[in-house]
Amino acid sequence: MEKKQKNGYAGKILFVDLTSGKIETKPLDADFARENIGGLGFGTRFFLDAIKEKPEFDALSADNPFILMTGPLTGMPMNGVARWTVCAKSPLTGFYGDANIGGYFGASLKFAGYDGIVLTGASGHPVFLYINDDKVELRDAKEYWGKDVYEVTDSLRSDFKDRSRKKGQILTIGPAGENIVSFASLIHNKGHAAGRTGMGAVWGSKKLKAIYVAGTGKLTPANPDGLKALRKKLKKVYEESIFIAAMQSTGTTSHMDVGILSGDIPIKNWQMTEWDDIDELGPGSIEEKIYAGNKTCFGCTVACKKEAEVKDGPFKIKKGPAPEYETVATFGTMCLNASIESVAKANEICNRYGMDTISCGSTIAFAIECFENGLISQKDIDGLDLKWGNSEAIIAMTEKIGKKEGFGAVLAQGSARAAEHIGGNASDFLTTVKGLEAPMHDPRSAHGYGLAYGVSPRGACHEASLTFEVEGGAMFIPEIPELSDDFPEGSEGRAKLNVAAQDYGMFFSNCAVFCNLGGAPLNATHAVDMVNHVTGFDYTIDDVMKIGRKVWYLKRGLTNLFGAGASEDRLPKRLMTPMAEGPSEGSVPDMDLMLKEFYEMRGLDEDGIPGKEVLTDLGLDELAELLSIKQSSEL
Amino acid sequence: MAVFESTEKFEEVLGGFFNLIGETSLVADKLLKSKLIIRFNYTDPDLVLLIDCSGDEIDIRAHDTDTKAIVEMKMSADIAHKFWFGKVNLTMALTRRQMVAKGPVPKILKLLPAIKPTYAMYPKYLEENGFSEYNIHS
Repeated sequence: MEKKQKNGYAGKILFVDLTSGKIETKPLDADFARENIGGLGFGTRFFLDAIKEKPEFDALSADNPFILMTGPLTGMPMNGVARWTVCAKSPLTGFYGDANIGGYFGASLKFAGYDGIVLTGASGHPVFLYINDDKVELRDAKEYWGKDVYEVTDSLRSDFKDRSRKKGQILTIGPAGENIVSFASLIHNKGHAAGRTGMGAVWGSKKLKAIYVAGTGKLTPANPDGLKALRKKLKKVYEESIFIAAMQSTGTTSHMDVGILSGDIPIKNWQMTEWDDIDELGPGSIEEKIYAGNKTCFGCTVACKKEAEVKDGPFKIKKGPAPEYETVATFGTMCLNASIESVAKANEICNRYGMDTISCGSTIAFAIECFENGLISQKDIDGLDLKWGNSEAIIAMTEKIGKKEGFGAVLAQGSARAAEHIGGNASDFLTTVKGLEAPMHDPRSAHGYGLAYGVSPRGACHEASLTFEVEGGAMFIPEIPELSDDFPEGSEGRAKLNVAAQDYGMFFSNCAVFCNLGGAPLNATHAVDMVNHVTGFDYTIDDVMKIGRKVWYLKRGLTNLFGAGASEDRLPKRLMTPMAEGPSEGSVPDMDLMLKEFYEMRGLDEDGIPGKEVLTDLGLDELAELLSIKQSSEL
Repeated sequence: MAVFESTEKFEEVLGGFFNLIGETSLVADKLLKSKLIIRFNYTDPDLVLLIDCSGDEIDIRAHDTDTKAIVEMKMSADIAHKFWFGKVNLTMALTRRQMVAKGPVPKILKLLPAIKPTYAMYPKYLEENGFSEYNIHS
């Protein structure tokens, strides 16, 4: 692309080989950009290119490429477009892994002149990547290794504050990544997380501690007048959106008041959907006890991020990022822990150590149930009285996991491997799909979620498509019939919902990288228009659905390539056990029905693998060939 | 075809249910704590019902369009009827503007856990008060 293109892209990709230390910059090809849009549209392609010669490798080896890609809108001054993406093979699941993260890092990377970074190899000693506009260096991270996320963020910012007129943005791992906790995350600005699938452990295995970026460039949309007119039109849309009003006032924790009505919130490791103490974890309690302010991502006026402070007591924390809904549920309702202060503390530990709060809290809830059932003793778990609601024990175990200390080292592998270690009937208490702990939305209350979790390439995930947003009601896409239907109770029609939610979702959340919260009020016309105004492309809704479909099959095929099949598309026993009472009483997703329909619609064979013709029709010939070789070798 | 054949019938059914809510301490206590004044503007058939939680007791006033409400809700009678069975996805109804809510969002959200017990009360109320033809569980 031209150096000063006016299309939202920065125009360059950084290639960094951590083994040799070689750093290269290559231009972003215009045709490639048009065909793949950005974000994981780029990331999955670069990933496949990097692994196709040697598709069998360990996620913690130097052969695992790590890809970081922004979207074409990242860095634009619009609501809900600050996010960016990462992908690699997951150390937690062993399958394809990715994550999506907000804040300011993505914008800063683009202002520095780069749409993304492809990291290969592994360093022999701790390093960090320093990017200051054109200056890109691998530097010794000796003085930062061993420090927690907050310390490293403050240190790097302070150490380099005079090197650029723009504030440096930092993405870092904490001790959990260094210790190779399987669900270690990447943390930006202390509270934005590329949380899921253990991307922090990938960095730990590569001895990559952090990326520091400062950028002074500018991004220019192709059609600034069109973008301005769209922004004006969307002002009313945002003003009338009660979902946005809820995000602005109480953030994602507003779901505590809504989800309880439908039985969406898992309680006591998914055994209950009602609890007398739940208000202790709701927005009212949060406001009263820990709320300390609002934060936002680049360019976004929604400001759904909150801050928390616990002024005294055993869970005292300084003002910092507040727990999101998922964290309040995993460390709160899942553990029958009614102390919002301790949840804030657990959140801070996870941020400081760099750990996924969903996997961590869920794994602790699993461990509590194992303890309750005598599968592990107090002696096994270093003397902790790991009971339901024991806030102190929950906090202590969280820290042990981050340090991989004592029984924490067992749980640091994730609940699925921990269950194998513990033995007995521990696997009955699991809530994982493909080894990834399920997020805090109950598929027994909305069956489409069950299919979404089952077939998600990265494991149980409510953001692997837009099924949660659409069936849950936060998004309404009137241009796409499957995403604007009524959804009667039950499992009927959920396969077609999932297919459309995946295709559109891959465009929306993965390639264009809209935020599913800040971008929730957008319909498809708004979203496609915004991408076109920025890039100068002329996509139609059909065009972006096709690109999204291709990205879904790429992710699915990669996960198949890494060994996932039909048996990995099933929900665990706990999520298929009907509730005896409550709003979802007696209801379980009909996975047989939904999977049968889904497999037919997606052209997956009985092993859950896309047919060759399906892939070649999408231009995924290389992936088709790799899968064919793999299947032949298994015969 | 609309569930309720007339404003009078709708007022009799829903107004009576709101009175029951006002007399049920499990729900009323939380509503009174909120100090909210909520006006429900229904269509098909048209009806206005005001729930005044600002005093010592819940006061239900039909056709009150004068009192300054803190929260204004607008929806069809059919949506309202379905809602009290717990059969409306609230987020979806608000997103699709089948329900429109105006007022302080945190206070609106705080009402939700308070009204959860009413989902079990509504079908029972319909059966016990001669309105069984409106009970979807019958």
